[in-house]
Amino acid sequence: MSDRLKQIIKKQTQKENENLDHADDIVQLVGFIIGDEEYAVPILSIQEIIKPFPWTRVPQVPKYVIGVFNMRGAVIPLIDLRTKFGLSPKKHNEDTRFIVMRDGDDIAGFVIDRLTMAIRIKNSNIGPAPDTANGDDTAIDGVGKQADKIITILKVKKLLQRDF
Amino acid sequence: MDEFQEILQDFLVESFELIDQLDQDLVELESRPDDLELLNRIFRVAHTVKGASSFLNFDVLTHLTHHMEDVLNKARHGELRISPNIMDVILESIDLMKALLSTIRDTSSDSGIDVSGCVVRLDKCTGGKGDVETPAPKPAAAVEVVEEVEKESVEDNSPATDEPDYDNMDADELEAEIERLLQQRMAEDKAKRESKKSAPSEAKDDVSEEEENEPALNVPVAVTPARRPASLRDDADSGDGAKAASPVKKQSTVEQTIRVDVKRLDHLMNLIGELVLAKNRLIKINDDVEERYEGEGFLEELNQVVSIVSIVTTDLQIAVMKTRMLPIGKVFNKFPRMIRDLSRELNKKIELEIFGEDTELDKSIVEEIGDPLVHIIRNSCDHGIEIPEIRLEQGKSETGTIKLKAYNEGNQIVIQIDDDGKGLDVEMLKRKSLEKGLITEKEADSMSDKEAFGLIFKPGFSTATVVTNVSGRGVGMDVVKTNIEKVNGIIDIDSEIGIGTSMKLKIPLTLAIIQALLVGVQEEQYAIPLASVLETVRISKDEVYTVEGRSVMRLREDVLSLVHIGDIFEVERILDSSEYAYVVVLGLGTSKLGLIVDTLVGQEEIVIKSLGDFLKGIEGIAGATIRGDGGVTLIVDVVAIMDMAKHVKASILVDTTSDAAMLTHEKTKASDYAIMIVDDSKTDRTIMRKALEPLGVTLVEAGDGQEALSILKQGDYNFDAMLVDIEMPRMDGYTLATEIKKYNRYKNLPLIAVTSRTGKSDRMRGVESGMIEYITKPYSSDYLMSVVQRNINFKSEFLR
Repeated sequence: MSDRLKQIIKKQTQKENENLDHADDIVQLVGFIIGDEEYAVPILSIQEIIKPFPWTRVPQVPKYVIGVFNMRGAVIPLIDLRTKFGLSPKKHNEDTRFIVMRDGDDIAGFVIDRLTMAIRIKNSNIGPAPDTANGDDTAIDGVGKQADKIITILKVKKLLQRDF
Repeated sequence: MDEFQEILQDFLVESFELIDQLDQDLVELESRPDDLELLNRIFRVAHTVKGASSFLNFDVLTHLTHHMEDVLNKARHGELRISPNIMDVILESIDLMKALLSTIRDTSSDSGIDVSGCVVRLDKCTGGKGDVETPAPKPAAAVEVVEEVEKESVEDNSPATDEPDYDNMDADELEAEIERLLQQRMAEDKAKRESKKSAPSEAKDDVSEEEENEPALNVPVAVTPARRPASLRDDADSGDGAKAASPVKKQSTVEQTIRVDVKRLDHLMNLIGELVLAKNRLIKINDDVEERYEGEGFLEELNQVVSIVSIVTTDLQIAVMKTRMLPIGKVFNKFPRMIRDLSRELNKKIELEIFGEDTELDKSIVEEIGDPLVHIIRNSCDHGIEIPEIRLEQGKSETGTIKLKAYNEGNQIVIQIDDDGKGLDVEMLKRKSLEKGLITEKEADSMSDKEAFGLIFKPGFSTATVVTNVSGRGVGMDVVKTNIEKVNGIIDIDSEIGIGTSMKLKIPLTLAIIQALLVGVQEEQYAIPLASVLETVRISKDEVYTVEGRSVMRLREDVLSLVHIGDIFEVERILDSSEYAYVVVLGLGTSKLGLIVDTLVGQEEIVIKSLGDFLKGIEGIAGATIRGDGGVTLIVDVVAIMDMAKHVKASILVDTTSDAAMLTHEKTKASDYAIMIVDDSKTDRTIMRKALEPLGVTLVEAGDGQEALSILKQGDYNFDAMLVDIEMPRMDGYTLATEIKKYNRYKNLPLIAVTSRTGKSDRMRGVESGMIEYITKPYSSDYLMSVVQRNINFKSEFLR
């Protein structure tokens, strides 16, 4: 009897440990589409996702900084990722969203074409960025492999860095 | 150690405050050397600092203040007359004291500054031989303090009566007396402690109980309250006949204040800012509601609430602003001393008159204007006021006067600095600037007097032939300009040769919430700080002249250079500019600029918000604000605009017709033609579609004027013509036509009215609003097709 009890307890702890391992291993991302590619950023770096609303143009900035908008009293820059990634600008439609990302005190809104979904991906399934896009200069953090596709994971820190 | 730090902080704050007052008192003392009250006050400062510093083991500072105290004490008892020479030494020692305190603030120790020279001179003043030993070792310092405490309590009691004894004693006697008093005091204290266990000063005593010299410690803990413990002790001190009434009385008349961390005030100010924004928004919503539900009963109530909120918010804002206000006297206080030093250095006789030192300014601004004022006053002393001989020759009084005035004027503070010196010589200013290559010959010729006065603010400009200790390096006045511009201030100079110079600094009351003029350019709006706006004028286009590629206009007797706000902020010209333009005349420092805008929107209270790290430092933008409708409006940086205006090419008021050319693309097939059908009735739209489909052109439908306008704005199609119904909800055909004609690129777009309105006046209105054809319902589809074909120059080869 006590042996069985021990076994059960052992099993349970094993399971728990497995679960813990599981949690450690998994990265949660939010996926979105820009152009034809799917990208993702860590879910914790996202402050909120909002539908597009009016913004104010700011002069003397690169084209991809399309302006600033008011988010509950804070003035936040708005960056068009299509333009930033070298794609032609596109009219906003009902799928367009602003993703507000934060890294420490840096904060900015990013225009994306469409949201896909929240993704849970194992750390082991994330590969390094390709050699051609490596080093400090790239905004690519790594490549997440999924059953049917791969997702480019972006460095939020890099996206929020002023480069002009 | 924390406790020590806390005490140290208190000590520093207290000392700096005392010293601020000290400077002024000392200069006053020079003119009234017999003023006992004044002397006592100065003595107390030296004394307090000394007492506290010895407790904190700052031996150098103690050493210095001790000798200062000696000199002052002698003066106090009439044994020494304060001559200018002695005053120099005292002032020098006070400067050293300041330096020491700064060192202490930065490094928590007072080493590194040599005071021995000054101490020797101080000692000489008191009649000593000058052979003073270096800082006393710690135990000695402690004794010194005891001595001081003794002195203080006794002196406070009866400043003039039983005092002189001490000074007549020789060192040994004094030592003995101290010893005696110390013993007595310790006994008293012990007794007192036993009897008054609950007394507030108790705790402090207890802390130091183990130490030998506890009585001394009462004084330094907190300097101002120290007087009370002292007098408390005096009360217990029945041996002393005279009682200390005056120090206690003084306490009660002191203003009630609380020290608050500036950060808290800043936070409060931010919150008020948010409230102001919310208020603006509420007012806007109220206006909208009023429009929509005109005449309804609840409106009045709403109105009342909104106006109460608005009034209270404004009051609250003013109240919080006031908490951040400091009297400008804080800055002015250091000038009497400065003038005194300068006049001795320059061998001139200069008198400073100060008015309105109670005028209050925001703390952040007070901090910014100190330096500029120093430079202006130095400049007045050095270049303005002549030496006494020349003044006499010119029939002026030997003593020059500099007047420093501060007063409120509307939403601004004006600081005025007048001197009765030689005034600014316009020709000389121009010549010097030419020599130094700051301006060109041409500029010099066309310069007005006011502009010429402004030359003194150019970096590198200097009229002095020799660089003196006081001025002549050509940096000072540049600093003035930069600092004043930093706080959005304006400098106004007036001068007359031989009579004097008057300089006015106009500074806004506060920096965080400002009044702004909102202007429109095309579809954008910008906020200009009202403090920098001198006036606005409406001009017609033919009033603008071009001189050397730059636009200028005549404003009364001046020539004003102009720049279009759209050129500075790269605004796309979509809308056709009207015949008139508005010029906002900006003034900053000494320069002026006319900023052309399309419309003036109004005046609003705005809260300055930073654009954040990502967008900081954009040229021409000082920040952003959030408007009543929740949108963001950028705030113009007037300083930067003035600078940018010099490099911007004038494309002003030149109609860009190139956009119109975009419409005439080469058509290669029938579907290259695009026509918009605007009608609120689905049936009517279908009829028109059916009629035109045989042509094979692209057809786009819109349900009303606004929809049509937004389709046009999106620019997905290059329309060749529009069929417009007149009767439509939201925006009717006439309004739509008028709106469309505002856009440069649609100026020549054929608009065809399709309507059942047949009256002559309707046709007239149609023509006025820009319709070129008028088709009345019902119509045959062939007729419609032919009208459209004609208007879009439909090529016959596309006809099937």
